[in-house]
Amino acid sequence: MHEPAREWYTRDMSGGDTYDALSPVVAAAHELKAPLALVRQMALRLADKDVSETERDRILHQMTLTTERALRVTSNVTKAARLEDAFFELEPVNPGQLCRDVMSELAPLFAAHGRSMSVKDRRHPLLLVANRDLLRRILLSFSDNALHYSEPGSAVHLQIQALKESGMVRIGVRDYGPALSSDMWRQLQKKLSVAPQAIHARPESSGLGLYIASQFAQTMNGRVGVVRHRDGATFYVELHASQQLSFL
Amino acid sequence: MTKVLLIEDDAWLAELQMGVLAGEGYKVSHVKNALDAMARIEAGQLPDVMVLDVLLTGSTAFALLHELRSYPDTEAIPIILCTTIAEHFSSSALKEYGVRRIVDKTTMHPNDVVAAIKAVTA
Repeated sequence: MHEPAREWYTRDMSGGDTYDALSPVVAAAHELKAPLALVRQMALRLADKDVSETERDRILHQMTLTTERALRVTSNVTKAARLEDAFFELEPVNPGQLCRDVMSELAPLFAAHGRSMSVKDRRHPLLLVANRDLLRRILLSFSDNALHYSEPGSAVHLQIQALKESGMVRIGVRDYGPALSSDMWRQLQKKLSVAPQAIHARPESSGLGLYIASQFAQTMNGRVGVVRHRDGATFYVELHASQQLSFL
Repeated sequence: MTKVLLIEDDAWLAELQMGVLAGEGYKVSHVKNALDAMARIEAGQLPDVMVLDVLLTGSTAFALLHELRSYPDTEAIPIILCTTIAEHFSSSALKEYGVRRIVDKTTMHPNDVVAAIKAVTA
């Protein structure tokens, strides 16, 4: 049986020739379609005469949150485009404090979706060496991703872990959503930082967020990765632990 | 009353679409992925029409279309694709999958889905 739909999907969206390595511009356009279409539908709803004041306020709040999320994508694309030309200062960063800042920044978005965030860390986590702005962007991107894939009512956990043997600190964003298939897992491991991939952790995304996070991490001499679980995934960034304690 | 199953992984868009469809008198139920859609069908809740997003969390719409075409009680359910990538599809190419209409999310008016449902259930 001829399968035009599957054929298209295989060729264009699953790592074939057309979208095999999307340019960031094309990937960004793809990523922004959904939020723009959603905001347009919300605007059309607001134009109706039968919208109650309560519904109007709720939709306006959702529009604000949706556009903020889309703007984070555009801001990351422009930032990534200037990575080679710009100088990014690396400094000791407290990962626990940064995670709590990210959690506060995203709290309204998570609350509006009926999800919550939490930070799991030690009282005195090791400092890591990072550019605070780039690391914040990585964590926001992973958290946005986790929000989309987590189940309503579930929590997303920001987890900090010292990897003593390698001298790195890992910050993971754990979601409780669909598990990654083995095929997707292999592709993800193989192609993580090559280019925006049409197929990656989850099928409906262009992979732009992960690609940009990888670029940001490399700028800070770190890397990103993913651990799959039966009930979700942990996307993480690993950066060098600060050595300043060794000078004391 | 016509039963509509909406398969859409964006909760806020689903909320808007359900409001429009319920306002037109349809009995609407919503799931966010293909697996949940099949679970609902397995439980005996067969819809009269399905409004289906393409780029879903987990399995894509096409995995679901293949499932639906595999069983005699689901193969004839009319499907309306509602997607941001409508430009990649043609109705004629997808007809054999039960897709009767394609609605472009990027340009649609809320009543376009209602019109599509009326057209495929007439």
